[in-house]
Order: sequence, then C-alpha cells, then structure tokens
Amino acid sequence: MTQPLDCSSYRFSDRDEYCLRAGIQSSDQILLIPPLFDEMNRMRRMIVDMMRILAEHDVGTILPDLPGTNESLFPQHEASLEVWRDALKTCFEAHQGCSYVASFRGGCLIDGILNNLPTWRLTPVKGKSLLRTMMRTRIASDKEAGSIVTMSDLTKKVKNEAIELAGNIISPAMFEQLNEADITNPNTLRTMRLESDSQPAEGKLAGSPLWLRAEPDADPILSQSIADDLEEWVKS
Amino acid sequence: MPENFDLTPEAAVRAVMQDILGLDAEQVAEFDADTELFGALPELDSMAVAGLLTELEDRLDIIIEDDEVDGELFETFGNLVAFTEMKVAE
Repeated sequence: MTQPLDCSSYRFSDRDEYCLRAGIQSSDQILLIPPLFDEMNRMRRMIVDMMRILAEHDVGTILPDLPGTNESLFPQHEASLEVWRDALKTCFEAHQGCSYVASFRGGCLIDGILNNLPTWRLTPVKGKSLLRTMMRTRIASDKEAGSIVTMSDLTKKVKNEAIELAGNIISPAMFEQLNEADITNPNTLRTMRLESDSQPAEGKLAGSPLWLRAEPDADPILSQSIADDLEEWVKS
Repeated sequence: MPENFDLTPEAAVRAVMQDILGLDAEQVAEFDADTELFGALPELDSMAVAGLLTELEDRLDIIIEDDEVDGELFETFGNLVAFTEMKVAE
C-alpha cells in the first residue's frame, strides 16, 4: 500500500470542504459517499485502505468531508440530509471527470445527487435505524449518569430544538429528514452486502461489518473485496 | 451460500452477536441458553447493546420499545432469544 494520497476541496456555503483523493491521474473517478455519524469513524481506515488498492489498479476515488463532519468547519447544528445532498452535488461538479458514485451505509440516504449517475452501494441503512441506535446510545449514557430519558421524550424535544445524540448535534431538520429518508435510488445499479448478511443483494463481499463494532478498526479483507468489486464494476 | 429469508430469531441473535462482538462463528455456535452475556462479555457494553437492538429490529422486522429493555434481557443468551421469539410472534 504505497500509493500516495492527494487532497482537493470544494466550495460550499462560503467554506472550503476537504476531499481525500487517491489515484488522481486515473481516467475512472468514483465519488465516495461516506457512512454517516460515528459509523464513518469506524470505517474510515478501511475505506482509505480500499482507496489505495483501487489507485494501484488505476481507479481514482474522491472521499469528501460532508459539511459538519471530519475537518469541516460547517456548524454541525445546521447540517441536514438536504444540506449534505447539496454539498455532494457541488463536490461532484467541482471534480470534472468523476462519473461514478459509491455510497456506504447511511451514505445511501444522500446518494441520489444527479440523474443517471451509476451508483454502487454497500449495505444501505435506513435513517430511522441510525436514529434509533443514536437515541439508544443517548438513553444508555443518560441512564449511567442517573437520569431517565425515553425515545418519545427525545422525539418530542427535537421538534423545537437541536438535541445531542451519541456525540452528534442533531437539528430538528436532520431528525425529521433521517426519520423520513427514502432509501430507494433509481440510479442504483449494484447493491452489495456482506457474506454474513442474509438479505438479498447483487453480490456478497468477504469482510466484517465494522460499522457495528465498538471501536474503529481496519479490515484488509473487506478493503480488498470492495476494491475488487468496484474495479470490476467501473471497468465492465 | 443459500440466502436465508426465513431467519429464525435464534439464528438472528447469533448472527448479530457475531457481527457486533467480532466473534467467530464457532464461538457463537457454542452459546447456549445459559451463556451469560452482559457483564460476562467485555465487548458487550451499553453502546454495543444500542446497535444490537436496532440490528435485531431490522433483521427480524420487529420494534423493541424502551420499556422492554432491562438488565434481565441481556443476562443470558436464552433470555435474549426468548424475548425475540416473543416479539416475532406478536
């Protein structure tokens, strides 16, 4: 894994948002849409390893920061799925020559950015499920601190103000959009899942579901199997 | 691998435990009704429980309410399987 990484940026809401890139000179470029919230932390290493493998096979990748995540200075309480979709559109336009999208987990909720864009997906997750896990995490940490809060308390509170869920500031708009987000994308050409997943998919990949783990980790098997599948997909 | 559309609650609990705790299939296959969970498995902290409940909801198409979740539920593998069987039957 000696392929160098590059970076670029896109201008959104008067700020420069950072993108990590690999294989910048390749003619095939894939815009990667990262998993959302703490799933991204658990999967970033695996995704970057995958980007290096793809670069070795002459496939370029662009991994943008969504506004309010990673290095972004965009205020977290102003982020929403709509904002992220707009940002991705801007990012896509700023990277001429990019002609594919690959989205991971919650990234599938915001991958419908342009018509007719070939889209590859890994284990799409419903926005509602992300919210329920984050609410449960909040409920558990409140309980450890000695206070009792329920999902319906949180759902009521977020109608009027942003709430903190598992380390994320979730605005009323973000909560509502996650709750109602539709996972279908007419452009999706290939939906992949892991071998351990019993749900139907276009194909099954070797590796472990890092998004369910307590701590971030690498998974060279998963990085390799995703890279192999994406390479075959863009070159077919 | 044949696709399993009729995932039993027990198979779902085993699969989710394997995924969340990063155990291998042999370790999870050894779980029986008396296997202790919360407190006995260091990986199974309250954050892991949050993800585990949502995964079970998604894989078994059930909804688990706040007030159904207590310490007893995660005491043993048997308790957790019995609970999911009850939810699926509802």
